[in-house]
Amino acid sequence: MTAALGEDRTYGVASDPRTATVIAFMVKRSLIRIRRIPAAFLPSLAMPVFQLIAFGGAFAGALAYAKINQALDWYVPLSCLQGAAFGAMGLAFATVNDLRTGFFDRLRMAPGGRAATVYGPLAASMVRAIIPLVIVSAVGFIGGAALPGGVLGLLTLTAAALGVAFCASGFGLGLALRMRTLAAATLTQFAIFFALFLSTAQMPLDFIQGWVKPIARLNPMTNVLRLAREGFLGEVTWQDTWGGLLAIAILGTLTTVYAVRGLRSFDK
Amino acid sequence: MRRFGDIVAVDGVDLAVQEGEIFGFLGPNGAGKSTTVRMLTTLLRPTGGRAVVAGFDVATHPAEVRKRIGVALQDAAIDPLMTGNELLDLQAVLYGIDRSRARLRAGELLERVGLTAAAHRRVGTYSGGMRRRLDLALALMHEPVVLFLDEPTTGLDPMSRLTLWEEVRYLNKELGTTVLLTTQYLEEADQLADRIAIIDNGRIVREGIPRELKAQVGAPTLLVAVPDEQRERAREVLVAFGDIRPTAEGTLGVGLRDGAEGIAMVVRSLDQAGIRLHRMELNEPSLDDVFAEATGHSLEGARSRLLEPAAGAPPTKGRRRRGGRK
Repeated sequence: MTAALGEDRTYGVASDPRTATVIAFMVKRSLIRIRRIPAAFLPSLAMPVFQLIAFGGAFAGALAYAKINQALDWYVPLSCLQGAAFGAMGLAFATVNDLRTGFFDRLRMAPGGRAATVYGPLAASMVRAIIPLVIVSAVGFIGGAALPGGVLGLLTLTAAALGVAFCASGFGLGLALRMRTLAAATLTQFAIFFALFLSTAQMPLDFIQGWVKPIARLNPMTNVLRLAREGFLGEVTWQDTWGGLLAIAILGTLTTVYAVRGLRSFDK
Repeated sequence: MRRFGDIVAVDGVDLAVQEGEIFGFLGPNGAGKSTTVRMLTTLLRPTGGRAVVAGFDVATHPAEVRKRIGVALQDAAIDPLMTGNELLDLQAVLYGIDRSRARLRAGELLERVGLTAAAHRRVGTYSGGMRRRLDLALALMHEPVVLFLDEPTTGLDPMSRLTLWEEVRYLNKELGTTVLLTTQYLEEADQLADRIAIIDNGRIVREGIPRELKAQVGAPTLLVAVPDEQRERAREVLVAFGDIRPTAEGTLGVGLRDGAEGIAMVVRSLDQAGIRLHRMELNEPSLDDVFAEATGHSLEGARSRLLEPAAGAPPTKGRRRRGGRK
């Protein structure tokens, strides 16, 4: 194939877009979509709140046995992470929709394509994660959850939630870019459930028995949950912080590479 | 060249589009038009060969190509939840246009495509024609050097189609934009394109100026309608003026060796043979004839799909009709 079209000219040429501006606009687009179809966002908000209330009631006795003052102290961070992770399903769904309508091609053809197709959506997921974080925490505190770790405890919870949103979204995006069907959103949800619940999601590690225990011990999500919970269970310490941050850094890098490589698969 | 596994989607596409021309890329569905455009617009990497757009290789300098091209894809790829204004803002951000210039440019474009009043509405509420016009405005936001229009009028009503054609002509004549237009509509290529290429089964089978390509096909076809009982006799008379061509039932067709000048002689000969002529019509070669001659088959349905809904639209350029009842 040989093709030549036009000659290079010095006018009519777009500039290199600023990556931050493109990312900011993609975040704005994501928020516009939430405002215009709130029903699509509602499940990622309602499910964590429901689980917080249900688990808080059902496992109160068991957690008391594990010397945890209140079940809500244990489950508020879990529900916050769950709400943050669910944004990845929304992202996978939106990406497949953009692929189907051809809007994704519009983004890919632009000079700021990669920022618009990968980094923008990942940033948008983190911003979206703030909504369930705030609402689930509020419900928890109204229900009587305590935060002895104070502001630092809120910061570690926020870091964990945003980190989970970033990692889960990178995975969901990578999957959506490879599968290009709505099944990607469902598989993302499965993966989130496995990652979250094969960890210390429901019980402290010492109280988990059987085949789940070794998995929960190795699951990086256990470290992230420790990071999210430390302010609810006592003072914030570096010992309980670094493992979660490291897990987020490693998972975040891997899932971002997975998403970027998914984008590259379009060239093949 | 582009392969998908063992399947060769595009091969043997050698073409050069000059700056400032409208180039029509014509072919049936599945011929390889969209695959070629996807390669030229950096959406798909060629598996062989070389393509240069606006002076840059699409495989080695895709970012430079992207800055210089505008693309309106086949299905008006627009987020239906966003408004026209929001999409123009997004386009400006994606192409690094500063806010004040973007606002000015968006206003100009919306006015030109007649969407100023609808710009604040969600695109999901737009008609097909409005979406296409917005898509065109988006493609023009950064004043591209080369504009790709992939089947821009498919599914549009006749009025929207004519409006879009006018816009394409304006862009080309007034702004000097090079336009590569893919279409399966013969009339569209005939109306707009300075030059065309016909692609079939992933290969370019003809390339040139439409008028010259039509002339190369050969003599115009004279269609005559005579009484059934005189048809055989008429055939014997007509064969002296050229080759007999297949036509619709009830008429005879002859490829006039001497062109339109031969009509008078045909009429005289038929008259002398005592044949009553109900009707006659001269069909000059069309792009469909060029296509049929190049590929061995017609661009099936393309003409009817375009022309039938376009009742009341100006007559086609490619098929002029003369003659009448005697």
